[in-house]
Amino acid sequence: MQSRLFKNLRKDFLIEFRNRSAMNISFAFAGITTLSVSLACGGASLTPQIHSVLLWIIIFFSGMSGLSHIFIREEEERTSLFLALHSDAENIYLSKLIFNIILFACITALVTPLYLFFMQVMPVYRLYFILTASAGSLAVASITTILGAMVAKAESRGSLFTVISFPVMIPVLWISIQLTSDSLEGGSPPELRSLLFLLAFSGVIISVSYLTFKFIWTEQ
Amino acid sequence: MHKNYSLYINKISKRFGKQLLFRDITFNAETGESFFITGPNGSGKSTMLQIIAGVQKSTEGEIIFSSEKKEIPAEERFTHFGFASPAVNPYDMLTASENIRFAASGVNGDRIDEMLHLFGLYPHRSKHVGLYSSGMKQRLRLIIAMIDSPGILLLDEPSSYLDSSGKDILFSEIEKIREETIIIIATNEHEEIKLCGKGIDIAEQTI
Repeated sequence: MQSRLFKNLRKDFLIEFRNRSAMNISFAFAGITTLSVSLACGGASLTPQIHSVLLWIIIFFSGMSGLSHIFIREEEERTSLFLALHSDAENIYLSKLIFNIILFACITALVTPLYLFFMQVMPVYRLYFILTASAGSLAVASITTILGAMVAKAESRGSLFTVISFPVMIPVLWISIQLTSDSLEGGSPPELRSLLFLLAFSGVIISVSYLTFKFIWTEQ
Repeated sequence: MHKNYSLYINKISKRFGKQLLFRDITFNAETGESFFITGPNGSGKSTMLQIIAGVQKSTEGEIIFSSEKKEIPAEERFTHFGFASPAVNPYDMLTASENIRFAASGVNGDRIDEMLHLFGLYPHRSKHVGLYSSGMKQRLRLIIAMIDSPGILLLDEPSSYLDSSGKDILFSEIEKIREETIIIIATNEHEEIKLCGKGIDIAEQTI
């Protein structure tokens, strides 16, 4: 199983590094939106709530433009049958999930320092800020992986992905925005419970997705 | 030493929505037997192969695949099958060698080179598959299907896109492995039908 998982991951990274489509789209979006927001605000003093909303909007839409790509590419390039013939569904899901977690971690690692630099904000509780960004990214990646698999099997994929992702994403975005705001603001420290909620949410999504993926993946 | 496999297809039917593609297809095959599936375009030959390979579900019926009289679950079937079809597309952004390494399980570099030489792709092994012609891609599909010496070899129109030398290589390879493999070919080509001992017309349901 490990060998097959490793082969799938290696293949996905090789293809991504050769055509860089998901990374280019996501990183370009992240860079452009961060710069646009900083220019538009022009040194205006924004509240921590506004900063955290803006930051998560940029992270969310940067991810949306790239994360679904990992499954949609298999359908668009008609390679999904080749993949299905040489790997079991569980390994396919795990490899795509790991790929998306790594990709989204890179997006967050790019967007967050850029945003803090251009907007001249510094979190008061730095550890909480980093943990929130990591847990929020994990939750977004776990949701988008399984939704990407569903959307890849549907028509009109591009627009559908963001639309169906949003309702499932609301609790994650809500908690992440609240936690980010708390860690930027100072005062009482952010609640550990909310951070644990994000991790538990990811755990539930990943477990359910792992168990149900084969029903999405196998042609009925 | 090769294992003995047996495949029992029992009353398989397939529907897409309300449209019935085929119904009650029944046949069986054992190691050493070659079987063809024929029928007009759109009769479901390729779909039947995909159902046998476990990548599509049948609407009704069951497939029992066993090795040494021990049944192999559907989710493990892919490790015993080789499958070549025009619908199976290797990754364009990978080279032939990378695609083979991705698909094959437990074969060494010598075996890969041997198969690349045999099918005439060795000089092109480092090119991205996106640059291959249709015939070269078909040769690569056949290498990937055969490289693990599978217990069951499923071939969907295997000589499509191949030139005469490609066909000669394919037919001689089928002759070499037929004693230790179940070979199922979906085709309407007489040359390919002649390779098989028995078969079925999927539209007529006659063996």
